[in-house]
Amino acid sequence: METAYASATQQGRDPMVRLFAAGARAMLPWLAGIIPFGLVIGVSAARADIPTAAGWLTGPAIYSGSAQIATIQMLDGGAAPIVIVATALIINLRLVLYSGAIATHWRGTPRWWRITAPYLLVDPSFVVGMDGYQRHDRLDFGHRYYLGGATVLWLAWLAAISVGATLGAQLPSGLRLELIIPLYLIGQVVGRLSDRATRRAAVTAAVIAVIALTAPLHLGVPLAIVAGLGAAMTVREVSR
Amino acid sequence: MTVWAVILLAGLGSYLFRISMVLLAERVPLPATVERASGFVAPAAFAALAATGIATAAAGTDLTQAVPLLAAAAVAVIAVRHTGRPYLAVVAGMPTLWLLTWAVGAS
Repeated sequence: METAYASATQQGRDPMVRLFAAGARAMLPWLAGIIPFGLVIGVSAARADIPTAAGWLTGPAIYSGSAQIATIQMLDGGAAPIVIVATALIINLRLVLYSGAIATHWRGTPRWWRITAPYLLVDPSFVVGMDGYQRHDRLDFGHRYYLGGATVLWLAWLAAISVGATLGAQLPSGLRLELIIPLYLIGQVVGRLSDRATRRAAVTAAVIAVIALTAPLHLGVPLAIVAGLGAAMTVREVSR
Repeated sequence: MTVWAVILLAGLGSYLFRISMVLLAERVPLPATVERASGFVAPAAFAALAATGIATAAAGTDLTQAVPLLAAAAVAVIAVRHTGRPYLAVVAGMPTLWLLTWAVGAS
């Protein structure tokens, strides 16, 4: 198999630039799913009862779609700040796992890398990045590949949120665009229900969320997520 | 605490999660239970947020407003279940909502 390095030397271009481009290309299929999500988050930022700029800030600050949705929706609903932060962090706890897996490739890297590269770490950049380290024997090649994919993702994500926020602010409120978010989430969940444990997680979380709708401090959402996780864990792993 | 502080705090916490294992010299093995559970966070969170969103919009309204909402959610579930295409939830659900809201208002 032709490596990115070999093809780069053939074309007489800097291999590091080629690797950055290869990582960026590997991210493109992900963008098809990411861009609509970003648009939806932008619309919700514009419709929510918070400054649109604050909703947009969830992009660069939190940089994880599901945690951003939870934050915007709960801020809009007037939940207690501590509950909102806790919910976002429960949703983002998976980042610790990604961090642990990819850190094995980042030992001995310069400090600037160890500070900036993790900032870009989220589901798509993790998958593309790990794939890059598997494809290339040299770690610095993998770094470039990760950086290419992660940069494209970051730019596309913030652009999509910006466009969504602009559109969402201009369209008439009679369209009830705030309901795009729950409907979008329904689509994402229903598409994954083939697995029994996932089904149990989703159904339990939805039921608890509705029951706990009027729970104090808006504790319903974090409670529902934890209950969903618990329900999924009761399904034995071998049964899938 | 303001809206801005909530967002920045959630962001800071997320960044600390991202950098946590990079800063630790050796990888701390996480319990297998935690690794497995993390795979269910997205579906559980999405389901909880979707249910909260629909229920909040429907709560406190009368039947003429609640029915189009619940019907739109039902159509979204059915459309995705039958086709396996997640985007149809919005593409089929929103027109259902508009159409039924208009029909109820016109009747």
